[in-house]
Amino acid sequence: MGTTLRDAKERARGRAHVLAGEEIATEVERRVVGRVLSRAETPTGARLEEVIHETISTEQARLARAEGDPREAADREFVLSLRRRFAHGNDASWGDLVALIVERYLQEISGHFDRRVYAMATRAAPVALGALLHGFVPKAGRPTRVFDVDDRVLIGGELGKLRALAEVGTIVLVPTHVSNLDSVLLGYAVYRLGLPPVAYGAGLNLFTSALIGYFMRNVGAYTVDRKKSDPLYLETLKEYATLLLERGQHSLFFPGGTRSRSGAVEGHLKKGLLGTAPVAYRHALEARTKKPRIFVVPCTLTYPLVLEAATLAKEYLRAEGGSHYVDVPDEFEQLGRWVQFLRSLLELDLSVHLHFGRPMDPFGNEVDEEGTSLDPRGRAVDPSRYLLVGGRLEADDARDAEYTRTLAARLVSTYRRDTVALPTSLLAFVLFERVRRDSKEPDLFRLLRGLSSDAGVKETDLHDDLGRALEQLRSLQSRGRIVVSPLLHTSDVAAVLRLALASFATYHPKPVIERRGEWLHVGDPSLLFYYRNRLEGYGLLDAPALLPSEGSRP
Amino acid sequence: MSPPPRWAVLGAGNWGTTLAHSIATNGLPVKLWTRDASQRDEINQAHTNARAVPGLRIADGVLATTALWDAIDDAEAVLIAIPSQAFREVCRAAGDVLRPEHLVLHATKGLENDSRKRMSEILLEETCVRQLGVVSGPNIAAEVAQGKPAGTVVASPFPRVIEHGRRALSSARMMVFAGTDVLGVELCGALKNVVAIAAGMADEMKVGDNAKAFLVTRGLAELMRLAFAMGAEPMTMTGLAGIGDLMVTCASPMSRNHRVGVALARGASLDEAVASLGMVAEGVHASRSARVLAGIHGIEMPLFEHVDLVLHEGLPPTEAIASLMSLPAGRDVARFRGGASAPPRPTTR
Repeated sequence: MGTTLRDAKERARGRAHVLAGEEIATEVERRVVGRVLSRAETPTGARLEEVIHETISTEQARLARAEGDPREAADREFVLSLRRRFAHGNDASWGDLVALIVERYLQEISGHFDRRVYAMATRAAPVALGALLHGFVPKAGRPTRVFDVDDRVLIGGELGKLRALAEVGTIVLVPTHVSNLDSVLLGYAVYRLGLPPVAYGAGLNLFTSALIGYFMRNVGAYTVDRKKSDPLYLETLKEYATLLLERGQHSLFFPGGTRSRSGAVEGHLKKGLLGTAPVAYRHALEARTKKPRIFVVPCTLTYPLVLEAATLAKEYLRAEGGSHYVDVPDEFEQLGRWVQFLRSLLELDLSVHLHFGRPMDPFGNEVDEEGTSLDPRGRAVDPSRYLLVGGRLEADDARDAEYTRTLAARLVSTYRRDTVALPTSLLAFVLFERVRRDSKEPDLFRLLRGLSSDAGVKETDLHDDLGRALEQLRSLQSRGRIVVSPLLHTSDVAAVLRLALASFATYHPKPVIERRGEWLHVGDPSLLFYYRNRLEGYGLLDAPALLPSEGSRP
Repeated sequence: MSPPPRWAVLGAGNWGTTLAHSIATNGLPVKLWTRDASQRDEINQAHTNARAVPGLRIADGVLATTALWDAIDDAEAVLIAIPSQAFREVCRAAGDVLRPEHLVLHATKGLENDSRKRMSEILLEETCVRQLGVVSGPNIAAEVAQGKPAGTVVASPFPRVIEHGRRALSSARMMVFAGTDVLGVELCGALKNVVAIAAGMADEMKVGDNAKAFLVTRGLAELMRLAFAMGAEPMTMTGLAGIGDLMVTCASPMSRNHRVGVALARGASLDEAVASLGMVAEGVHASRSARVLAGIHGIEMPLFEHVDLVLHEGLPPTEAIASLMSLPAGRDVARFRGGASAPPRPTTR
């Protein structure tokens, strides 16, 4: 890695505008195309025509599944032109074709990204968000409580450390993913905490939704199309994220990939984007960047009610039941659902919990306020040494993939620890488990069918279970295994029950659980299942596991 | 050519000493850590470690030390062969010296009491190292020290760890196979000891070769189900660290666990059996761990359960066998279903 003085000077000059979209795109293209070309020259690497062919066929298959979707018209045209050029191409033209594909993907990924617009817009967005919430929520003719975002979003955790670390290195926020509202709330939290702007890859669907697309473009997210799965796309996307990080751009990924369909806390993380952290760190070290360190900050979101719960639960069950995953426009794209959702939070005085957990280095070690990595016994560790071979920094994909696995495992346990137990998920868990125990039905689908509204549970019959679960939650909290909401700091189980029932009755079109006299009836079994799952895996009521051990899967 | 990588071996028991000797015989410099100054002096001066490996003339490349930093500081790779119940303490101390670039292998078969943690988990909890792996297989230390041929497995998800392990341990008398399933190899190494106790009982009770084969195979099936439920790859159990190690432990009268089984079948109490051995057999603890793990993962393990009842709850061995024989017979082998749509889960019916 010969670094000349001239290089260093040029880099220093460049730093002022490193993140101008164009420069980034050029560099990503240079790296990705260069790598594909040099791989093709090795005896085992994929030949260029194979790469192109795979891109075309993967894209064709994807587009065939999305037949008739007008949003895909441009992609369809592009693939068609690729096919034509491929059919008439020759050895001399394959390289150009690869470059053309990468260029096109980069345009899609970073097309909206401009640092200056971005910096400004990040600051403007929360104001816009506030206005949006204010504007929609109060109902005419009703004495209105003002919708104050700060009351509705409780931000907690290692905030001081987070601010300090943003000064000495690059932050990667890795939140759990519950709802599409997550990114809006996180954007708000970043602004509220006075952190520098954070770049993130937002799903393409967010851009196509008219309402939120406006938002997304303006907070400067780059675009991720989760349905594109050809290797060139994935490599381009990964390289883009890596470059942003190594150039010191604070970033945000949802390592679970997509919103949790089951409602459970992520138990399994995608290693792709997480894996950019050690690579970016090595690049930054090699370039002798002033602040090469990268800090991975877990962030846990807990909602008392989830905007898209009904759609997500349906999708989970459909996928588990074996039928195909269908991408339907969900609540997130329906303005009316938003309004109802925000109104419910306001009327019931409910809040979303957003907890920033203990920051780690890319290898899963905790870090202190100064950014020093610590081993589990609190001894200082030099993280750059994880990348040394024979005393020199060296690339090793297999090694880095293992590091990322460790990091992912540690993130997963942080998510579990930082999850907040709320009345809604508690009641859903207790009622669900009660029915499950009584019916002894091992099959989830038959169990859900059996939860029809005719069957009820006497309210007072649940009191014992609720009390026991509360006690177990408190014990878990004292051992640092979960956070218990202040709403549950009571032994008055009847009050907890009332609160949960009120929440369940406001937002969802069909109440999740309904009280009829002394009896509780399940209004919507799949929603009951969804809310229950947030407390899966804590051993509450000694209930056996219900979900596959990986937790939620996309 | 880069200079040969330096190794540190922690633990100068029979296996640690034997492994240090093997590595040095391959021309790699080794520092062997022991707590015991007189053992250190004996190794450095007489090149023997008579208490641990009688009759072995230790290769000159082995240098013993009682300072962990001295052993580890300039080593590229570290091999830990410390009994499971002392493993954490040594790791914690070694954590002062271990650095992120160190490659670490361990050769300890067992689970930590009470926590039921595997050795690699302990390493991760006590040190900064990530690049780790495990050595395991049908390797009776005395035979390896005598230079008899054998095979073993080095398992690690890190290719460099495997590469270093193979370079250090391979020889004309030792074939080193590679694996990636650390968890599976560790579970096999710890839990096969319980099956060996059952085999020892069967031998002493003279119930016949059919019965013994039956018990050992059922033990393997149970072990496999549990390991799979805990995330191991099922095929690991069919390798050297699985069936290989099980065969040697269940057949060899030299095995401590086997001898515990024999003593119990003769009517000795657990305390008497352990006392006659002069040291603790790993399977005595492992049966407890296995029962707890079986409960946590919802796996039926009747053989392990019965061995545990004999060991810790005074069930007479003859009754244990009768009770095992009276259980309803389910499927012979589990079906391991997997695939993209369904998460793999072992099923028994």
